Amino acid sequence: MAAASVMQPPAAAWQELHRICPVRWPKVSVRTDHTRHIAHLMVTPATVRPVCLWLFGEAGYHFATLVAEEFDGTWHLTYVFYDPASHGWAYVELRQPLAQTSVISIGDTVHAADWHERETEDLFGLRFEGHPKLGEFVLHENWPEGINPMRKQFDARAPFAHHQQKTVWEPPTIVEAPGAFIMPIGPVYSDFAESAHFVIETTGEDMLRVLPRFFYKYRGVEKIAEGQTTERVLLLAERFSGSSAFAHGFAFCRAMESLCETGVPPRARVLRSVFAELERLRHHVAVIAGICASTGLAVAQAQGASLEEDLLRLTAQVCGHRYLFGVLKPGGLTLAPDARCLDLLRERAHALNLRLEKLYAGLRYSSSFLDRLEDVGLIRAEVVKAFGLVGPVARASGGAADLRKLFRYGAYEQVDFAVPTETQGDGYARLRILFQEAAQSAAIIERLLDDVPDGPVCAEVIPRAGAALGFAEAPLGATFHWLRLDAAERVQRYRISTPSFRNWHAFRVAVEHFSFQDFPIVLATFGLSNAECDR
Amino acid sequence: MNAAAWLHVFLILGTLNLAAAIFLNGTAQRRTFIVLALLESAALFMTGVATFLTGIATLQPLWQFPLLGEMQLRLMPFSALFLMVTAVVFAASLPFAAHDSTQYARSASRRLFLALYQLLYLSMVMVFSAADVLSFLLSWEIMSLLVYGLVVFEHSRPASQRAAYLTLALSELGSMAAIIGLLLFAALTGHLDFAGMRAGSGTLGAGARWMIFLLTFYGFGVKAGIVPVNLWLPDAHAAAPRSVSPVLSGATLNLGIYAIMLVNMELLPTNQSAFGLVALITGSVSALIGILYATTQSDMKRALAHSSIENMGIVIAAFGASLVFASLNHPVLAGMALIVALYHMLNHSVYKTLLFIGAGAVDAGTGTHNMNRLGGLIRCMPWTTLFFLGGIMAICALPPFNGFVSEWLTLQTMLRAAELASVTVKVGFALSGALLALTAGLAITCFVMLFAMSFLGMARSQAASQSGEAPHAARIPMAALAILCLALGVLPTYVIPALDEVTAPLVHAHAVDSLVPAFFGANAAHPHALPTNFIRQFHAIGAQVGQTLLPGRGLVVLHPGGARNPVIFAMSTGYTLLVLTVLFLIVYAVFRGLTGDRQLRRRSVWAGGVRHFSPRTTYTATGFSAPVRVLFHTILRPIVSDDATEIVGEYFRTAIRRETTEFHIVDRLTLRPVTHTVLWIAARLRRMHRGRVNTYAAYVLASLLVVLGVGLWPG
Amino acid sequence: MFNWFYTGLKAGIRTTPYPKKADMAPGISPGRPRATRLDAQVAEALTMRCPTGALIKHQGGVDVDYRHCVHCARCRRNTGTQVMDWSQDYDWGVLSAHAERAGHRFRDIFGRSLHIRFLDAGACGACMSEARQLNNPYYNIHRLGFFITPTPRDADILLVAGPVTDAMRIPLQKTYAAMPEPKRVVAMGVCALSGGVFGPSFISAGGVADVIPVDVLVPGCPPPPLAILHGLLLAVERTMPSRLTTHAAETEA
Repeated sequence: MAAASVMQPPAAAWQELHRICPVRWPKVSVRTDHTRHIAHLMVTPATVRPVCLWLFGEAGYHFATLVAEEFDGTWHLTYVFYDPASHGWAYVELRQPLAQTSVISIGDTVHAADWHERETEDLFGLRFEGHPKLGEFVLHENWPEGINPMRKQFDARAPFAHHQQKTVWEPPTIVEAPGAFIMPIGPVYSDFAESAHFVIETTGEDMLRVLPRFFYKYRGVEKIAEGQTTERVLLLAERFSGSSAFAHGFAFCRAMESLCETGVPPRARVLRSVFAELERLRHHVAVIAGICASTGLAVAQAQGASLEEDLLRLTAQVCGHRYLFGVLKPGGLTLAPDARCLDLLRERAHALNLRLEKLYAGLRYSSSFLDRLEDVGLIRAEVVKAFGLVGPVARASGGAADLRKLFRYGAYEQVDFAVPTETQGDGYARLRILFQEAAQSAAIIERLLDDVPDGPVCAEVIPRAGAALGFAEAPLGATFHWLRLDAAERVQRYRISTPSFRNWHAFRVAVEHFSFQDFPIVLATFGLSNAECDR
Repeated sequence: MNAAAWLHVFLILGTLNLAAAIFLNGTAQRRTFIVLALLESAALFMTGVATFLTGIATLQPLWQFPLLGEMQLRLMPFSALFLMVTAVVFAASLPFAAHDSTQYARSASRRLFLALYQLLYLSMVMVFSAADVLSFLLSWEIMSLLVYGLVVFEHSRPASQRAAYLTLALSELGSMAAIIGLLLFAALTGHLDFAGMRAGSGTLGAGARWMIFLLTFYGFGVKAGIVPVNLWLPDAHAAAPRSVSPVLSGATLNLGIYAIMLVNMELLPTNQSAFGLVALITGSVSALIGILYATTQSDMKRALAHSSIENMGIVIAAFGASLVFASLNHPVLAGMALIVALYHMLNHSVYKTLLFIGAGAVDAGTGTHNMNRLGGLIRCMPWTTLFFLGGIMAICALPPFNGFVSEWLTLQTMLRAAELASVTVKVGFALSGALLALTAGLAITCFVMLFAMSFLGMARSQAASQSGEAPHAARIPMAALAILCLALGVLPTYVIPALDEVTAPLVHAHAVDSLVPAFFGANAAHPHALPTNFIRQFHAIGAQVGQTLLPGRGLVVLHPGGARNPVIFAMSTGYTLLVLTVLFLIVYAVFRGLTGDRQLRRRSVWAGGVRHFSPRTTYTATGFSAPVRVLFHTILRPIVSDDATEIVGEYFRTAIRRETTEFHIVDRLTLRPVTHTVLWIAARLRRMHRGRVNTYAAYVLASLLVVLGVGLWPG
Repeated sequence: MFNWFYTGLKAGIRTTPYPKKADMAPGISPGRPRATRLDAQVAEALTMRCPTGALIKHQGGVDVDYRHCVHCARCRRNTGTQVMDWSQDYDWGVLSAHAERAGHRFRDIFGRSLHIRFLDAGACGACMSEARQLNNPYYNIHRLGFFITPTPRDADILLVAGPVTDAMRIPLQKTYAAMPEPKRVVAMGVCALSGGVFGPSFISAGGVADVIPVDVLVPGCPPPPLAILHGLLLAVERTMPSRLTTHAAETEA
């Protein structure tokens, strides 16, 4: 795998693991995988919590995802962590019989795992002991209790009739103040808003508590992928979140390639990074246009939207699709753009970046615009750590983690770039990050296109049974795709952990205690996608 | 029958009613009480009418006291107006009180309640008809104690005890100041009767005038609830039994106005514009502070009580304007301003009584007057809602209701200050005009909130969705008062001449010809105050329409200007009503014509597509007024504490408690510093008592040295 | 503020000539396969490659069913054989049978001004992004009298994207019910037409028509802005409809 070729195994960190684990938890066995840089920690139900807490707390690991699998008649729970310092992975693996449906929760301390646990509880019926439960999560009130769609015996394809359910969901209120009431938003609201419901508890003006309710768009992607060919699942990977299709397709392909130990040809590696950056550039421009719209700055919004459309057209010219659908395939790419096409891309990316810089300059001197963003929607650095925030939202609050830089996957080993970070954590900081990243993407595209290796764009993938994790830095942050194939080359488990899922978790922290009129602005500066979160 | 005879009838009926309250019981008691109450009110109203018709004062000697002289009752147009207002307010409130007394389980409580209520009525009439300092102060004190008794009546509630205590303390403080002022006045003139004091007032020096003015203005101002002596009012009106609040707001506040006008207009006519400016600014500030706090209340009764402060402020401001105009030798303008002040007071009594009876009915039906727990009452009490809406429109100063007329005229009269010479006075008027304009704007916010949060939308509590319609004893008076609101608003040209009869003796000029010129044709009795060709133009646009239907001067109220621009402002609520009605009918006809054949489809409220729409997701009063609270944060200064967040783990909360404490700005600036200072001194003094003998010995020695030093000081 | 005014003026007019003239700018549409006359063997191979079943082998060639085509380009790239014809058009809107029965009343009322409520019934974000582009200076639907409205109370057209997830079924029905008559529904995107890659499944319906009546269908994954515009124009009968399937038998050899 590409990452393995440039990175050294995290020897020092593993020594620490080998030293500490046997002493503290004699029952935990540690096995290290030197090609993929993974330390497998096989834990028992009693030790899962202390091990995870130690990794997250003392050892400084970041929580990546929790993968629950019903596999071979047992529960396989894999808590994936990565270490930004040593670039190594730690998989905390728990096996227990299917009959035993309770697991010790880590979500109260490793807050990043909170939603993962709630999702697993809803979809698998596993109970996380010690988790402060906060009501139903993925499946809403019309879904009957005790039916867990991710269990193997549940049929994904047959329509599930249950609409006779007449339960009423009363928003759980926790604000006790005279005159407190709920300001409901959604699920159908605003002009082009994605479906989501926000329960805002308030006494007027100040949002005392915000309870977002998601998964209105839950399409069960992880479930309907099961039993399908990888060909078909790639369609799902690209299409569950259209605004970051390439990044997710990329992560899926990388999971495939990691599992099958496929070497991607150099030309494809470079072009994949080019396309990923092209998507990031377009995505960030769209978010910037959205921020301008949220503050009512019409001209800037029009400029941003024009840029976005130009980028969409450029993408279609180069890749045949405005949202980069159908470009990727495991082992490489489906298309080989010719030199003329790449020159066009290079030239246009440069020109568009200049226009973007002009827009940035204009916005930086619009005080009425900045007034709406500055000191609004604050995210502190502790929140970034606790919630495991990723992407531009994290980087605007001092979190520097960027998988491109950490693991140097794909062609990112060939370009040197600094991850932009800000420390203020407000809406303006997020806007600055978006502009800096967009400019950086344009620069990376130019640099990579300077020297595109010749050769094929696709390698043969020989499927094999097993599981692997693929990851990529999507426009909104780190995404992790866990893929398990069976011997018949069918997908057995496909787990998608997305940046929107991660960052929506902390949205309420940013928006609480600001007033109503700040809500759409904080929403726009987060720039998150519900499709990506809900899956 | 003459006025004195009617007064006798009233007193006899009143005494009978007192007896009925005390000696009867059950349904008989209530029925007799209501009948007698209506009869005695009619008699009192006739007393006023008779006084108006004769236009002269009658004196009725009561008792002769050694040293203090004779106690007298008198009837004159000025007090007759107040008597008539009192009669209307009590006639409307007493039936509700009788009906509502059934909420007290013990028959003794019911008797005591109705007796106190009836006694308050009698004592108020005594205040208005006192002709000397002694009987005035005596009945004033009796009235104050009765108010205390009624406020504290539901004493099982701690809030009501505290409110009653504050009422008593502040009202006695005010009374004391007023007594000192009046006695000082009496001592300087050597008379205890009002006529004598009036006669001797010319000799008073400026210092004495200032003392008397300030002592009586703020002393009596306590009853009217003007800033800064208003603190008792919202608490007392909110804590008082629901059938007492209408009277407290509709009638007893007028006592303060009466007393202030009595002293400054009748007894001690001023020649200094400074008094008037003090009243003007005090009134305007009261109005703004009153409405500001009214807007931020979530309790219906408290909001109404705060709005009383606002309305009294407007009255006092207009009265202050009148004083200024009078002192600067503009008797007609002074007359106008005084007419406006009295008109607004009259209007306020009518609509506030209506609104408080409505609030009482809501309280009786739902068990709460907290607007955050109400909502949607229009569905279960439609009639109450309709009449209440009349009161709301009146208090919001929307045409064609009465509040509009008096507030509009108040603002217009303020603008007449442009004719004055002094810049200081003009600035004072401009400032208070601005404050009053802001007040009028906030009033709309406040009462839209009050009405919408209680009567519209969805019921926010079980009780609010299951309330029954208000009893007849509340609904019929409300209907009558709503009609009165409309009548007073549509026919100001008939009210103003009557008020002019009251004010003319006080300001020595008739303002009626300026305000209500005779558009229905001039005659010898009512000569034109305006150029003839101007009248002709007005006739050309139809100002004489209705001449054959209505006697009198016409339906147009205006402010005359100079020769170049004969009319500064003109309005006619009568014609406005006509035009509004016609327009409404046209729109309705067009609407029906266009949509007549269409099918009406009812769909549920659009709520973003949620499966279930809960009343908890609708605005509360607190939420509605939040922007006002943000805007006026510097004045309101709420103390917010939300540290009481319960968490079960980091970032997992189970409760967020927000407590907001607000100290009224007056409380913050006056009472609190005083109490803090007293407590601070007490704490310092306590430090001296260390309980050690040598310390006390040192004190003794030190005092001895001081005494010796003083004694031995040369000279 | 003046700066922005000047910037806006300087940017000039970029608006598409569509629908007066066809817009031929590169990159405005991903294009889509067209029914193609092919040998039986090649047709078999291409049909097998299609992961969504949009290609149907028929005598003489391959037919295309646009309710399923997601532009994955697998019938176009790296096939090693002959490929499908690929059109670069965008006027893809189709009237449903439901709309054809309804007559011209809607056109008569809303022919010149139309208010649109967009609803996301589980769309992936690409459809929404394309719908959002309708307001950008390139497409600027205001010039055609189309307006996006935030409330269904003011809306004449419901523009729906997504396969209709379980949780969005009731909101969709409520939104439709909240709209005053007469009203039309435009389903945009393959998901809204047939469930796309997601449905029908345990949690998704097989398109909008499973829940509310649909008048105009706009295929595409996602349909480009001009295709959506074509669908909207079609809803008020200001343009001619396309077809949901193309048949090789009808194509010119």
